[in-house]
Amino acid sequence: MKSLILKDLYNIGHNAKSMFFMLLVFAFIFVPFSGPEAYIIASGILCSMMVMTTFSFDDNSKWMKYAMVTPVTKKDLVASKFIVLLIFSIIGVVIGLVIGFIGGIIVRKVDYSNMSDVLTLPVVAVVGFVIAEILGSMSIPLLFKFGTEKARTLSLVSFIIPAVICFGVYEILIFFGVSFTDQLKFILLCCSPVIALVWNLMMYKISYAIFSKKELLY
Amino acid sequence: MEPILQVENLTKQYPDFKLDQVSFSIPRGTIMGLIGENGAGKSTTINAILELIRKDEGTVTFWGQELSSNPKQIKEDIGVVFDGINFYETLTPAKVGKISAAAYNQWDEALYHSYLKKFQLSPDKEIKTFSKGMKMKLCIAVALSHKPKLLILDEATSGLDPIMRDDMLDVFLDFVQDENHSILMSSHITTDLEKVADFITFIHEGKVLFCKAKDELRYNYGIIRCGAALFEQIDKSEVLAYRKCDYQWDVLVADKEQARRRHKTAVVDDASIDDILLLYVKGEQV
Repeated sequence: MKSLILKDLYNIGHNAKSMFFMLLVFAFIFVPFSGPEAYIIASGILCSMMVMTTFSFDDNSKWMKYAMVTPVTKKDLVASKFIVLLIFSIIGVVIGLVIGFIGGIIVRKVDYSNMSDVLTLPVVAVVGFVIAEILGSMSIPLLFKFGTEKARTLSLVSFIIPAVICFGVYEILIFFGVSFTDQLKFILLCCSPVIALVWNLMMYKISYAIFSKKELLY
Repeated sequence: MEPILQVENLTKQYPDFKLDQVSFSIPRGTIMGLIGENGAGKSTTINAILELIRKDEGTVTFWGQELSSNPKQIKEDIGVVFDGINFYETLTPAKVGKISAAAYNQWDEALYHSYLKKFQLSPDKEIKTFSKGMKMKLCIAVALSHKPKLLILDEATSGLDPIMRDDMLDVFLDFVQDENHSILMSSHITTDLEKVADFITFIHEGKVLFCKAKDELRYNYGIIRCGAALFEQIDKSEVLAYRKCDYQWDVLVADKEQARRRHKTAVVDDASIDDILLLYVKGEQV
């Protein structure tokens, strides 16, 4: 499995400079107008979407067919995509956090002498990481099922479905009289990595079910 | 001694194509050529052997074991080269080496670099700057550097110029100097197989027409070139296939010496693998 992850990192590494440049451009747009919090989340999502690009490189070089003649299993291949997503999501929120923090200080959206301001950003980074993981993992089964071209179009689904589910759950909770106190928000925040983990496991199972049935002609 | 690869009654049904009861085996220390026209089923056979597609029937065993019984270990011993490079073009041979080293326990970095040197491939140049021949050389270097015992080559020499192909064939001949090594080589360039193969399996429309020692084809098969009158006199039981050309009949026979004795007025030429393939595919089979 290490070979599969290494291959994706090398492939994407070639685009690292342009990706970093894009994140800087985004910083100029997001940080002054929407604040560093929005930028951290956007950075996480943007980097997590790089997993789609890895599929595109794979299609281009007919990698999956070749990978299956090396000593890796279909399970390894599917799992590697989720690990790559995890790596990209972490890189995204860490870069977002650093640039967001510095940018926030420059445009005076962050007061580094105020502890609450400083502590908010890592918390937002965790939320950004969870969102990036959930959205990114949703696109993986679509990519295995439909291939890169169709999945790009369908990737909107990977944004809409989790959003609809979250909104639905939120509405149901409101309907049953649950009020979102700070304490509840804190509990949800603490639970969110677990929710992301469970979601990822679900997406992994679906992806494997799809890929295990796939015939690798190309 | 058990063969390195044994394929028995391999069948795969598609809506418009059927790979039908394909059987052959590759003894140790030999090269098996898989020939047939485009779309005959060569790649489907290789894909089914490597379990890249699900077979409907039949068994495939490597060293007596099915691939699914111990995939990681068996794959360590199989080197595969398809008809194009499967690494993204911004990678370099050095990075390809690192990726492959992480994939194979048996990976030999020194051996890999010796192949890169032998094939004159710069380790730090991006693949996209390589010619097609260089890309294939890189694939072959990767396939050989984890010390496989079986090489499977699917049209690996197609698209290469004759000099490059000759270089590759020398590498393959070197590889089978070890008695425990074998090669399954699919190609529609039959002259390559004439140079290196020990056995030829001919697939046509998804079926194996024959699986024979190359020397048997070279030394025994012949083509009777004759007019219509003589063609009518030929005992059809000795004919494998025939074809009406502009001014003559070409008749493929399995025993050219016997044909020369029986038809003294006819021209009986040696049959190349190309001739045999052409007569089977474009002619009428008896």
